[in-house]
Amino acid sequence: MNTKVLVAGGLITVPLVVVLAIGFQHDPRQIDSPLVGKPAPGFALTPVDGGATVALTELRGKPVVINFWATWCVPCKQEHPALVQVARLFEDEVSFVGVVYQDEPAKIERWLGQYGSAYPTVVDEGSRAAIAYGVYGVPETFVVDAAGTIVHKYTGPVDPNDLVARLDQMVAR
Amino acid sequence: MMSLLLSLALASGVDPTAVVGAPALPPPAAEEAEARTDAISKKVRCPVCQGLSVADSPSESARAMKEEVRGLVAKGYDEEQVISYFEASYGEFIRLEPTTEGWNLLVWVLPGAALAAGAGWLAWTLRRPGAAPAAPAALTPVDPELRPYVARVLAEVGEAHD
Repeated sequence: MNTKVLVAGGLITVPLVVVLAIGFQHDPRQIDSPLVGKPAPGFALTPVDGGATVALTELRGKPVVINFWATWCVPCKQEHPALVQVARLFEDEVSFVGVVYQDEPAKIERWLGQYGSAYPTVVDEGSRAAIAYGVYGVPETFVVDAAGTIVHKYTGPVDPNDLVARLDQMVAR
Repeated sequence: MMSLLLSLALASGVDPTAVVGAPALPPPAAEEAEARTDAISKKVRCPVCQGLSVADSPSESARAMKEEVRGLVAKGYDEEQVISYFEASYGEFIRLEPTTEGWNLLVWVLPGAALAAGAGWLAWTLRRPGAAPAAPAALTPVDPELRPYVARVLAEVGEAHD
């Protein structure tokens, strides 16, 4: 009887423990983007200050960093100074675009006034660009090479050292 | 203004034809389109929610995605094409209903298999000789010597109940 109970209990608990052990080893929010290695979805969006439309196709020929963010997002506030700094560092070699997700122009302008800006910030009406990029939440940042292929995605705040290393390699200087 | 908005909308986002090919169906009538949009939205996961579909979530992301579904359905894209379109940018996670391929098959098969195994085990245990509880033994006749006491007990119980 005892061996039977042991065997039955083992049959139930061992697979469960194995599944949980595997499951807890990775963050379920960390979903690899199927877009890495694929052409970056095109977009043409209006800057928050109302200037000329920023189209991805016009930025070809240089690597592009596309940062999805929002004023209501706390980690975006943390990564922003680093992004501005990296953008200044690669001023002539890499284009940066901030795509604001589900937000209001007035709030965005106030936010940028407060935290500074070094590159165009565009508004994503209807979240169409965010959907095309499979954005789960903000911040998310895509690195696109000069040919227009997505080479990396950061989910959550960008690691500035990693970004600098990547861009260094891409501009080969 | 409208055409400007439209051209902007078309410019942002990918051309669905490049991802999932030409629409499989002719553009549907308004009523049909709405029904199809609802049905497909129930199968697309809201990316910012916990296990909710785009149809069930009131979030802005879900609303935007439902609009995208509506747009694709209006052009004649069928369910599989619309879901594949989202899958191309979000990955398989966007499917609220797992596919019936590979390891995902387990999710579909395992519950039924477990139920069948449980039912089988129960049937086998119940039919095993000697497993069923024994019928209650025949009532033992009251010892004649105890009859007066039994009668008194019954009478007292009867009184207590009155």
